[in-house]
Amino acid sequence: MVSGRSQQSLLAEGLARQGHVAPAVEACYEALRIDDADAIVHALLADLFLDGDFYDQAIRAAARAIEIDPDCAPAYLALGLAYDRRGGMWDQSILVWHELAEVVPDLVIAHVQLGEAFSASAFPKEAIEAWHTALELDPTEARAMYNLAVAALKREGMATALPGFRRAGELDPSQDDFFFALAGVCDDGEPAPDPNDVEPNRSSRLTAAFALAFEEDYFAASDLINLILDDDPDDAETLALAGYLYLKQEAVNEAMAVALRAIAISTRMPTAVYVLGAAFHKHSGLNRSAARVFDALARAVPEEPMPHVLLAESLLGLQQFSAAKQAYLRAIELDLACVRARFGLAAVLLTEGEHANAAWEIRRAAYYDTRRQGFFWQLYDAYAAGRD
Amino acid sequence: MADDSSARLYQAFVSHDPAAAINVVEGVKKSGVAQEQLFDHLFAPAMALLGGARASRAIDEYTFTQASVVAEQITSFVTPPTAAQDTGITVLVGTMHHDLHETDKAITAAALKEAGHRIIDLGVDVRPAEFLERAEETGARIVMVFAQMMSTARSVVRVREMFSANGRDDIVIFVAGGPFSADVSLAKSVGANGVSRGAESALRLISKVAAKMGAAW
Repeated sequence: MVSGRSQQSLLAEGLARQGHVAPAVEACYEALRIDDADAIVHALLADLFLDGDFYDQAIRAAARAIEIDPDCAPAYLALGLAYDRRGGMWDQSILVWHELAEVVPDLVIAHVQLGEAFSASAFPKEAIEAWHTALELDPTEARAMYNLAVAALKREGMATALPGFRRAGELDPSQDDFFFALAGVCDDGEPAPDPNDVEPNRSSRLTAAFALAFEEDYFAASDLINLILDDDPDDAETLALAGYLYLKQEAVNEAMAVALRAIAISTRMPTAVYVLGAAFHKHSGLNRSAARVFDALARAVPEEPMPHVLLAESLLGLQQFSAAKQAYLRAIELDLACVRARFGLAAVLLTEGEHANAAWEIRRAAYYDTRRQGFFWQLYDAYAAGRD
Repeated sequence: MADDSSARLYQAFVSHDPAAAINVVEGVKKSGVAQEQLFDHLFAPAMALLGGARASRAIDEYTFTQASVVAEQITSFVTPPTAAQDTGITVLVGTMHHDLHETDKAITAAALKEAGHRIIDLGVDVRPAEFLERAEETGARIVMVFAQMMSTARSVVRVREMFSANGRDDIVIFVAGGPFSADVSLAKSVGANGVSRGAESALRLISKVAAKMGAAW
């Protein structure tokens, strides 16, 4: 035993973290043969069953963990997700998310999930309250915002809902990730350099400016951009980055101006095209222009889901729902875990009266969002640390 | 359009002169450029000039910011109107008597309204007589009845009967809801002129009727 846990339990955990589901399940059973009353192993088993879409088994394992230890937060998460994904068990789901919100009151996801369970059970007011609570705890919680946008759509139509979708999209980090992917910048784990230590040449300055922008040090990045533009005001790549920085500081027209200048210099600069589209996207009267730009971007980088999502959102503003649906479907085809596309698709399905399919898309979005953010492991680690 | 109009608009931006900027826009409009083209043909080139001036340091950051504020102030003059123009077409929408489903109706009504149609929303649980009364009151000639249950979908026939009994066979009735989408013959059997399969479908149906009736509106 290490830290009160059997070797088999630790082995199961290690295998599960590496994604080896079947051997991890086997190791869990081994661990339970040694100690059947180990809540953390039951919780882990529940998550593994969930991963394999064995909902009933997941429910049983999670319920057993909670029976052994009513404070076993990861088991509540697995149980709630299993109820949600199984469908038709919304009453139980509401209870579980309530419990989790009580066990870990500042766990934002519990309130988001609670809202979704309320919504699925046709309690729209309670759902909206839960999502507002989530946003009070974390104003950057994109999924709560997406859900509020869908709720607005149901009550007042797309024109009211669309700003909510856009706001949620801005909270969603995937749009910034897309810009940096277009620029060929990836997170290498190294901190951005000190601007004073950067070599006085274009390449070093631009690389450093991107790194600083990635770390959201916009002022330092701007200083380096100015130095590059002093040498060459027609540097389209640098202008595109300048546009991105303006966008991040809510200076939409400034972003539009420098992006238009960049495109006037070179039409083959996807980062500038993106900045221009994103600037248009922020003006409700410019949906047509935004759609045109994002359509061009989607053609330029057809394997990236984000331009299809942005195109779809512009098409929603033009009430071209079928075209928006196609764009969302393409985005999901490219990235099954694209939460923003799934919520958008749910909205389009609602405009077609496809309520069950819309609810399914929201459930899938919830699943991928929860996985992506690693909530189970966060709760698991906190619970394991608490036991030790 | 005068060739230098974008340059003049740019000049108005950097001079922080919204009135001059509006004058340029109005002048270009008077020369025959359509509202829909103003953004692409006038505003965007002026903004590109502004971006270029910022890049070359022909203007400083403060002037750039102030110019962008002026650009923001005149954006509504160069973008297409956000609300569609009034089509003059009045549509009555409501959910059938004994049916309380509201979502589809709300979404469709909002889409039609945004497209410029005059929407009279009668709400849910609407009696057939109420459709008739409101059609008489408002002069509406299109009625969209929503029903999400088989029983209420079948009872839409009472709306048609109510209009027929009062000599209003000219009223166009569209139906919407799961039962009608699943079985198109049901719509025919209740005397509907068509089935709306969602907001976009409703927009298409109304446009089709409007085109067919032409000047009669």
